[in-house]
Amino acid sequence: MKHRSAQSSRIFTAVVRQHRIIRPRYRLLTLELDAKGSAAFASVMPGQFVEIDAGPLSLPQDKDIPAELLDSAKRNIMLRRPFSFSAVRHKGNKFEIDISYHVVGPSTVRLTTLVPGDSLSLIGPLGNGFRIDQSRPITVLIAGGMGSPPIQHLAAYLKSQYPQMRVTAFIGARSINEIPFDIGTDSEGGIIFPAFSSVGVPHAMTTDDGSLGVKGFVTQLVEKLLVPGPFQTDKAILYACGPEPMLATVSRLAAKIEVPCQLSMERMMACGIGLCQSCAIKTRDPQAEDGWSYRLCCKDGPVLDGKDVIFD
Amino acid sequence: MTKANLSIEFAGLSLKNPVFTASGTCGYIDELAAFMDVSALGGFTTKSITQHPRKGNPTPRIVETDAGMLNAIGLANIGLDRFLREKVPLIAQYDTAVFVNVAGRTIDEYVAVTERLSQEKAIAGFELNISCPNVKKGGITFGTDPQQVETITQAVKKVAGAKPLMVKLTPTVTDITVTARAAIAGGADALSMVNTFTAMVIDIESRRPILANRTGGLSGPAIKPIAVYLVQRVYREVAKPAGIPILGMGGIRNASDAAEFLIAGATAVAVGTASFIRPDCCQSVLDGLCDYCRRHKIANIRDLTGTLQD
Repeated sequence: MKHRSAQSSRIFTAVVRQHRIIRPRYRLLTLELDAKGSAAFASVMPGQFVEIDAGPLSLPQDKDIPAELLDSAKRNIMLRRPFSFSAVRHKGNKFEIDISYHVVGPSTVRLTTLVPGDSLSLIGPLGNGFRIDQSRPITVLIAGGMGSPPIQHLAAYLKSQYPQMRVTAFIGARSINEIPFDIGTDSEGGIIFPAFSSVGVPHAMTTDDGSLGVKGFVTQLVEKLLVPGPFQTDKAILYACGPEPMLATVSRLAAKIEVPCQLSMERMMACGIGLCQSCAIKTRDPQAEDGWSYRLCCKDGPVLDGKDVIFD
Repeated sequence: MTKANLSIEFAGLSLKNPVFTASGTCGYIDELAAFMDVSALGGFTTKSITQHPRKGNPTPRIVETDAGMLNAIGLANIGLDRFLREKVPLIAQYDTAVFVNVAGRTIDEYVAVTERLSQEKAIAGFELNISCPNVKKGGITFGTDPQQVETITQAVKKVAGAKPLMVKLTPTVTDITVTARAAIAGGADALSMVNTFTAMVIDIESRRPILANRTGGLSGPAIKPIAVYLVQRVYREVAKPAGIPILGMGGIRNASDAAEFLIAGATAVAVGTASFIRPDCCQSVLDGLCDYCRRHKIANIRDLTGTLQD
């Protein structure tokens, strides 16, 4: 008997429920998944991603396209784009997911035209998310810029699934204009990120230009605070997502203080499902003659152990 | 009218329909099987296999263009041993004609890989990759020289046993009918065409090529009209007189695209880049071809091949 399978269940449709401008170039898209998508999301993990097809969407009018993208973002598109999600919620028997995005190119410019009721084709959830190490209840989350959404999802996930864990988050961005979620104030007037405070995760923020929180890189703040001794390294783990130089620093820092870290990586992808082989990441491989091999960001990652990733 | 008969005869094989996957865009079979019923396909062409594992090129390996994409993967693959151990048993589970795309740096390597696989029952045939534009040795360096095309085809054909050998042609030549003739002279049982076009995308800020390999192969809708033209030419001038079938490809996204290739002279068609966007694209091409046959009262899809009117 030959094998017959038609498991197209991870290709599904989602309907826009909300679309909100967070900053001039940052949006928050809330999507309701259809029955197929909701079934596929039943065991979703933070750090996984979806592939969105913005190809069928039209361009906004020129006046609604950021001036510096008028040229580059108006070309035709063909491929899907990978997006992580910042939240996953049960809504009756369906799932709702939040996708934060930065308007940077031809696909994201098209996404800005979406209004509630519009539908989109998605594939997902794809890849391997963060693997929660229960033997290490002191969890430090580190996010940089557009790496923040999966870290936000992870914070909420850890607090709901492992209430005994001590979760702290460090969030960095280039400036206040590049924070991809809402900024609020606490009862004493201090700046907070409701995305983290609402789930009870203490957090600190940095910006490169000092326009919000501590001035400098998020990794500088982390390095200052994670001093072995006061920081119980044998019970701790770092989870990070952000630009590659940040991840490289987190990886070095983790190695120095002897704490494991998991990094959510990013690569250009044509498919997101292991067909195109384009999203290669250089990793240590004792089996390989020369000690390294490529792994695919989409199938082997996007979350990889920091000790395995080779940063050139 | 009853449902059209989609079955075809292709290089000595009876296939249930003319829709294939194109090599390099569908993995080894299991990757795509997670998204569609692979056994519904007439044929499946695997990712390239070389004798030893290859890491492939540094990243970026792809870049999107206006109506397509460039890739420079560089034949990244798991190598012959792992392919035999891990993938051939999987391939055996599916009811479709699996062609293994064979690549190498030297003729000996092509021969070694083909010879070893020629005994595998699960494998229906071979596709000779002499048209990959993204490696320094082998690939396109064989495919652009008619003498080399004939020599390598002959050498591989000798060890392919009873399995059909398909030769994949590059469009990056002055006259593709010359290389097509050379492949047939070497003993090719079928031609697959076309592979990608060598191309470049430049980052105007850094003034560097975007791909780490500098150049890559252009695929997608951008190349479709050129591919249709080349298939039509090779069919009329070479393949039809020689009685050799063509597996047509280049930018096929839907049944209309596929029908164009069949009319131009292809016996079967392959979906490549479109599978990246819709992993179940082959299925919709197949369904659409059924509709096309119904609308045009075509009883046997094989009758559509080469019906281009003057």
